[in-house]
Amino acid sequence: MTSLYRKWGRVIRYENGMLIRVEEAGEASEVEGVFEARPMPWAKGAQTRVSMPHQPLPEANVSQGVESFVAQTLLSVHSCIIERLLVSAGISTHETNGVTWTEESRRVHLSLVKERLRVLVDLASFDLDAIRAAAGALTRAGDPRKPPPRVRLAPNVTAALLPSLVGEIAIEQRGGGFDGRGLAIETRAVTADDPPNWYRPSYSIRPRRAWLNLRPLPFGTIDESAPQAVALLAPVIGTNLHVLCIDGDDVFPVELSAEHVAAVSGNEPVWYPYAAGSFGVEMML
Amino acid sequence: MTREAGAGSRVSEIRPAASGLNLPTSFAIVSRDESWQRGTMVESRLMHGQAHQRGNEIDAVDTCDERLARACDAAIEAAHALVDTLREAQVRMRVRATREDDVENVETTITLRMHDVSIVTTPADAHRDYELLRGLAGSKPASKPARLPIVWRNGSAAVLLHEAIGHAREHGAAENSWPAWLTVESPLALRRETFRDVPLPRMTHLIARLSGAPFAPPRERIDVQLVAGGGYDPVTDVVTIDIAVSSVGAFTIHRTRSEIAASLIGAVGEPIRYPGVICSREGQQLYVASHAPVMLMDSLP
Repeated sequence: MTSLYRKWGRVIRYENGMLIRVEEAGEASEVEGVFEARPMPWAKGAQTRVSMPHQPLPEANVSQGVESFVAQTLLSVHSCIIERLLVSAGISTHETNGVTWTEESRRVHLSLVKERLRVLVDLASFDLDAIRAAAGALTRAGDPRKPPPRVRLAPNVTAALLPSLVGEIAIEQRGGGFDGRGLAIETRAVTADDPPNWYRPSYSIRPRRAWLNLRPLPFGTIDESAPQAVALLAPVIGTNLHVLCIDGDDVFPVELSAEHVAAVSGNEPVWYPYAAGSFGVEMML
Repeated sequence: MTREAGAGSRVSEIRPAASGLNLPTSFAIVSRDESWQRGTMVESRLMHGQAHQRGNEIDAVDTCDERLARACDAAIEAAHALVDTLREAQVRMRVRATREDDVENVETTITLRMHDVSIVTTPADAHRDYELLRGLAGSKPASKPARLPIVWRNGSAAVLLHEAIGHAREHGAAENSWPAWLTVESPLALRRETFRDVPLPRMTHLIARLSGAPFAPPRERIDVQLVAGGGYDPVTDVVTIDIAVSSVGAFTIHRTRSEIAASLIGAVGEPIRYPGVICSREGQQLYVASHAPVMLMDSLP
């Protein structure tokens, strides 16, 4: 494999009180098993008909978008301690294998603390409602409880869990866009075979085969009266979840084992930035 | 050792985490990062860029500083001379040539890995640490895990104190009651891994020293040789240490800072350089030189 991969990117990132604007371009190659990555001048791409991202980043607007969202977030979570808040907006153009494509991205990582509980929020959109919901649940959290017999997982919780459920439930790779080697991402059933696509989160990271944009296939019936796990209290480890659960007016931490999935909703899923992409939709354990 | 990212800082929003520390207004870096297996290079990464700070804003671009590039290339060339002498290990060589305002620095670190055990060393200590790793990696435990006093050898107590004192200090945790015979030097400075990163208060190094400490290790004990990783959670005040090589094999310590402080019952000798602390916080991996004497810990409850 000798194909050259090139990437041009700009990102604006808010990180715990600092705003950083980054502009860079780089290229990577793999020749006889040796992976090499290096920065490259922005002008170099002109030789390959790509001088810079086709859709130049509207820096002022994006900057204001990030700062505005940060300000609204800070107001929305005032009942909790913000342990970490990262908000970014970026645009990147990729060129490899004769294909050129441009992506825009938004990412939010929020860690909220109240007493000895920590809620983790990861989003691919500036979704203030999701943040308000997580903060509200954390504020009302009571003592830990034993797992209820049936629990619904909110889409954000399902998305975090889904990479651990490969081989356990029916999951597909949802098609659309290009992978880290410029191959089209096609809708495929996720199997034990080698994935057909490649994951390259950065030009300086050697791409690896991975199932991208996982989506659980719907089955069964969701019991709408079951308690709902609405937020992660810790990163998912295997199929073990530590989550904040809502049952009527009660909010409580609970540890769950997701070894038996009883149902997956057929609602339109939402994409979350877990693993190599994961679609969340309501799921019942 | 490779430490997983900690649980994060309890910084107040709007106010940058840098208060009280000298913040450089300009930063430049050129780095080379190479992985070698059996004397053959398998991965090579060049990275360069510059960052300029005004108040709470940073502008960062991947511009190359030619002077730093020459310094970086010279250092990686020098490190290449070691590759053939470290053939039994997977080798990662990393050179960082940096300038913060007017202060230049070139840092070379070498990570050696054998039988899933890693150490981090420098060119000056590479051969000695390579022999240490060859002797310890893959060694069989002498006995089964048991609740016994622990003797921290090879300077490994520096990792414990890195988490329990150094990171706790980074996070502004409440002071803890440590043994009177123990002093720990772990100054903070604003450090960043790359030009893309926000500088954070990080340890520059850690040196633990003793003064009049008792030391009476029991015959029945666990001898810790190498540590795989660790972490400190500022919300729960819990320290986690993953032991890689000991007389009872690999195991994990998961205790509050106060439990750890109460369990330290002695030490002996001068601080010993521990081969390797690559500290990861907020995804930024930085080398922290770490030294500690042989230390004795009571069996943990």
